[in-house]
Amino acid sequence: MEELSKDLNTNLQMLEEIFKDVDDLVFRLVELGESKTKACFVFIDELIDGARLSEYAIQAVLIDDKKDFNLKLFTSNLIKNLANREITISEVKEEEDLGNIIDAILSGQTVLFVEKEKKALLLETRGFPTRGISEPESETVVRGPRDGFGENLKMNMALVRRRIRDPKLKVKMKKVGRRSKTDIAIMYIEDIINENILEEVNKRIEQIDIDAILDSSTLEFLIEDNYLSPFPQIEVTERPDTVAASIYEGRVGILVDNTPFALIAPVTIGALMQAAEDHYSRWTITSFIRLLRIFAVFLAALAPAFYIAMTSFHPGLIPTRLTYYLGASRINVPFPAVVEAFLMEITIEVLRESGTRLAGPIGSTIGIVGGLIIGQAAVEAGIVSPLMIIIVAITTISVFALPNYEWASGFRFIRFAYMILAAIFGLYGIMLGIVVLFVHLAKMESFGIPYTAPYSGLGLREGDLKDTLIRAPLQKLKYRPRFTLPKDKKRMGEKNNGEE
Amino acid sequence: MEKNRISNQQLKALLVTTVIGIGILSLPSEVAVALNNDGWIAILIGGLIPVPFIMIMDRLFKMYPKKSYFQITKEVMSPFVAYIFFIVFFIYTIVVIGYIHRVFAEVIKAYLLENTPIKVILITMLVAVSYAARSRLEVLARVAVMIYPIILGFPIFLLVVNLPNLDYTNILPIFQLDIKQIPNGIFTAYSAYLGFEITTLAFNITEDNTKSVKYTLRGLFTVIGVYLIVFFVTLSQYGVFQLKRGIWPSIDVIKEVDLPGYFVENLDGIVLAIWVLVVYSSLGPFFHTSGIILKEIFNTKTHEVFIPFLIPITFVISIIPDNLVVVTKVMARILEYLAFIVSIILPVVIFIVAYIKKRRVKT
Repeated sequence: MEELSKDLNTNLQMLEEIFKDVDDLVFRLVELGESKTKACFVFIDELIDGARLSEYAIQAVLIDDKKDFNLKLFTSNLIKNLANREITISEVKEEEDLGNIIDAILSGQTVLFVEKEKKALLLETRGFPTRGISEPESETVVRGPRDGFGENLKMNMALVRRRIRDPKLKVKMKKVGRRSKTDIAIMYIEDIINENILEEVNKRIEQIDIDAILDSSTLEFLIEDNYLSPFPQIEVTERPDTVAASIYEGRVGILVDNTPFALIAPVTIGALMQAAEDHYSRWTITSFIRLLRIFAVFLAALAPAFYIAMTSFHPGLIPTRLTYYLGASRINVPFPAVVEAFLMEITIEVLRESGTRLAGPIGSTIGIVGGLIIGQAAVEAGIVSPLMIIIVAITTISVFALPNYEWASGFRFIRFAYMILAAIFGLYGIMLGIVVLFVHLAKMESFGIPYTAPYSGLGLREGDLKDTLIRAPLQKLKYRPRFTLPKDKKRMGEKNNGEE
Repeated sequence: MEKNRISNQQLKALLVTTVIGIGILSLPSEVAVALNNDGWIAILIGGLIPVPFIMIMDRLFKMYPKKSYFQITKEVMSPFVAYIFFIVFFIYTIVVIGYIHRVFAEVIKAYLLENTPIKVILITMLVAVSYAARSRLEVLARVAVMIYPIILGFPIFLLVVNLPNLDYTNILPIFQLDIKQIPNGIFTAYSAYLGFEITTLAFNITEDNTKSVKYTLRGLFTVIGVYLIVFFVTLSQYGVFQLKRGIWPSIDVIKEVDLPGYFVENLDGIVLAIWVLVVYSSLGPFFHTSGIILKEIFNTKTHEVFIPFLIPITFVISIIPDNLVVVTKVMARILEYLAFIVSIILPVVIFIVAYIKKRRVKT
C-alpha cells in the first residue's frame, strides 16, 4: 500500500482523491503553536463523537501554552510529542500506511496529519447512535439476567467480559468482508478450549471471501459444515450469559458487529435443546421440561404425519371408540386426510408468517382472527375435522416449545416431508423418515464434533446425558461437558455446601 | 480429531443392533421346532459359537495393528486367494442383504401395508439403507447407539406387558431333548447371530482396542439375553406346540396384549413400526461392508461409488425367491453355509497363515 508523504498538502490531496464525492468527510485544519505548523484532522462526520474530538484533541493541541509548545516543535519528533503529551484521548496510534488510515477513517476514527511528518495519528473517537441494552426478545427468562446483546460490538464484548474475569479469556479481533470490513471478535478461554476446534474455527473464518457481512447469519452459513441440512450447526443467541456459559464449557463465542446475534461453535443436539433458564431453575422441574422438549420435537415433526397414517392406513391401531368418533367427525369432510392436513398446516404457516411480520397489536389480532375464527369456521363448514384442528394446534405449540428457533424451524420444515411419506407408506413411511433423519443427524458434524454427541457416543455413566437428557443437580455436574473435549475437565471443587 | 474412530461403547451398540434384526421374529419357533422346550440351549450355545472367533479376530488385529481386515488378508494371502476370499465375502453380504430385505418386506406387507406391492417396500427400504451405507462406519456406530435403547427396551416391554397373561408351566418340561437334534438346533440358532463378523471388522478403528473384545462379548451376551427373554415369553404364552406352528411368534405375542387405557388398540403395529429402525440398523452395516469389499477389490478411494450399483443387485436377489417358504427354507440354508464359511472358516485360515508367517519371520 502507498505510504504518506512528508508534505501535508500532498497527503490531503491523496485523501480527497480517494474520497471523491464523499461529502461527509471533514477536513479540519489547525495551526500548532507559534510556528504555525499546519495540521489537519480528518474524519467522517457522523461516525465520530464530535464533543470528544473537540474537547480532548482539538482543544488540547490548540491550548495556549506557546512557550512549552514551541520548544517541542523543534525537537525531532513532533507527532510523538503530540500523542504523548498533548492529546488526551484514551487510545492513540501512529500509522504510516495509507490503507490502514483509510480503514480507520471509515470505522469512525479521526486521523491527524501534521506538516513535515511521514506518520499520522489515529485517534479513537468512534461514537455513533446505538440502541441501549435491552431485554433479548427471542429468549426471555423468568429467572436469570435480563440483558441482551445490542448492535454494537464493543458493548456486546463488554457484556460477555463482565461475566469472565480471567486473563485466559482471549479475544481475537478480525475483519471480514471485502467491502463491509465487519469487525468480529472470537472469544474463548485458552486453557479450556480444545485447540483443534479453535484451529478449525479460525481456518474457516480466514477462508471467507465475501463483500459484506450484514448479520452473523452470513458468517454462520459460510463456516458451517453442511450447508444443505435444514438444521443449524452453530448456536445463535442474543444472551450474553449464554455466550459466557458456552465459553466456560470450552466452546468458541463469535461476536459480529452490527447484530445482536452471537454465534457459538461447536454445537450438538444437546445444546440446541437447552434454554438459558435451564441452569437457573431447580433441577427437578428442569429435568422434567427437558424430557418434555424431546417429546415436543417428535410432536412438532410427526403429529400431522401420524394423523394421516392412522386415519388412512391403520385405523385398526387406534382404539375402536376413537375410530368411531374419528369416522363420525370426518363424515362431512370431503377430502382425504392428507389434503386436509396440508390445507390446515399451510394455513397455520401463512398465519404465522403474517403474524411475525406485523408489529404488536395487529399481530395478535391476526392470531385471533386466523387461529380462532378460521379454525372454528373451517370445522363448522365441514372442510376439516375437529381433530385436525387439535393436531395443527399441538404441532404449532410444540414448535414454540423448542428453545432454539433455527432448530425448531428445521422440524417445522421436515414435518411436510413426513406428511408426504405418511400419505404414501403410512407408519412404515414415517419410520423410514425417522431413521433417515437419524442417519442424517449422525452424519453431521459441527467443527469436528459429532452433532449427536451426547446421544450417539459415550455411555450413561461418563457421558453428557446428565446435563442433556435431564439436568442433574449442580453438585453432580462437577465436570465440564465432554463433547467439546476440553483441556481442563473439572469445573467444581470436591467440597461444596451440602455434600459429604 | 481423527476421522472414523469409534469408542468401545459404540462398538458394543453396533454389534447388538447389527445382530438383532429379523432373526428375533422367527427364532423362537425355529428353535422350538428343533429342540422343543429346550430351544434355549440352542440359543445359548449358538450365541457362544462366535466367542472364539471374536478372540481370533482380535489376535489377528493385534498382529497387524492399524490395518483393516481386508488389508491384512491382502498382505497374508497371495493376491489371487485374497480376491477369492473377498468375492466370497461379498456374495455373503449381498445375499444377507437380499434375505433380510425380503423377510422384512414380507413382514411389513403382512402387518402394516396389506395393499402395497412388495417391490415398492423393497425399493424404498434399499434406497433408505443406501443413504446410511454411503457414510463412514463411525456414522453407523452413532446411529446404532441411538437405536440401542430401543432394542433393549423391546424385550423388557414385551416382558412387562405380557406378565399378566403368561403361563409359566408352558416352559416345562426342560431337559427332555434329543441329543441328535442339538447340532441342528444350534445351527439354526446360529443364523440369528449373523452380523457379529461385521463388527469384528471394526476392531481396528476402536479408540482403545485392548478392551474391544470385552465390549464385543458384552454385546454378544446382551443379544443372547434378549433372545432368551423373547423365547421364554413366547414359549410361556403359546406352549411349545403352538409356538412351533407360528411364523413370527414374537410379533404375534404382542397382539395378545390387551391392557385397558391404551391410546393404541393394537400394539403390534406400533412395535413393528419401531422394528423398522432395528432392521435398518442391521442392514446398514452389511450394506456398508459390501461397498467396502468392492472398494478393496477395485482399489478405489471411497466405497460410496459402488453403493448405487448395489441397490439393483440386492433388489434382484431379494425378489428371486417366489414366496416366503422358499426364503426361509432355501435361502436361509444357503445363507447359513455362507455365513459358516465367512464368519468362521475364513478368519481361521487367515489367522493360521498369518501366525505361521510371523513365526517364520522371527526364526
